[in-house]
Amino acid sequence: MANYLIAGVLGVFFGFSLNKAGLTKYHKIVGVFRFTDLAVLKFMLTALVVSMIGLYGLRSLGLIVFPSVPSTYIVGNIIGGLIFGIGMALTGY
Amino acid sequence: MKFVMDYIRKEEWSPYVAGILLGIVGVLAVLLSNSLLGASGAFESIAGMIGKAVAPQAFDNMYFNFIMPPGITWGVILLVGAFFGGTVGALSSGTFKWRLVSDDQWKKVFGPETWKRWVLAFLGAIVLEYGAGIAGGCTSGLAISGGMLLAPAAYLFMAGMFASGITTALIVYRKGY
Repeated sequence: MANYLIAGVLGVFFGFSLNKAGLTKYHKIVGVFRFTDLAVLKFMLTALVVSMIGLYGLRSLGLIVFPSVPSTYIVGNIIGGLIFGIGMALTGY
Repeated sequence: MKFVMDYIRKEEWSPYVAGILLGIVGVLAVLLSNSLLGASGAFESIAGMIGKAVAPQAFDNMYFNFIMPPGITWGVILLVGAFFGGTVGALSSGTFKWRLVSDDQWKKVFGPETWKRWVLAFLGAIVLEYGAGIAGGCTSGLAISGGMLLAPAAYLFMAGMFASGITTALIVYRKGY
């Protein structure tokens, strides 16, 4: 139950950050593929860097154990990404 | 303090500031419930739940039994929270309004009809979710959550996503690229 509460609260901040970064808008998402607005990339990579530092730091302090890492199957990951990109550029989500 | 409040009310933050917030949320998700953020998986869990109820035979397979267990998962709750988070974000900047998922830039390329936007969004979303299903996640669930654990899958996915996204945008925006 507590876990669900955490999910709900974190979800609110998740959605909030997406909204404030403008990622809920079509022209922002498509902008990154047209190189006219790189907000999506800046947002994604900033989040990546911050959470990488946080997670690897906490792990070396022994405070967390990593959850199961998304599995790598080269062909599937790339083909999935290729199909995903088409959908993303068409819908703008 | 006033500066902070004013910044929160802004419609659009610097992507770096919003990114830092998301990064912290990503760390807290692992720290507090040993889970990864994601969005596409939740739709599959819901689809699996509906499918198991409607056509249990068709949904009795490897994918829905083991890879994407159906039901109200952590990710589904996260997605519900994200919906309200987005609403709070729009309310805080006073830009909240009911609209028919249209966009000025979209209209310039595809024409003014809203139904076209709906049809294309629906079809595009099927393509998008299908791709996410094959790759094992979406922008948040694989690219960000996997990337922060330095999973090679995340970077392969991002390479694919940008390669085809840029190509698709090139085709859609033939002249105005």
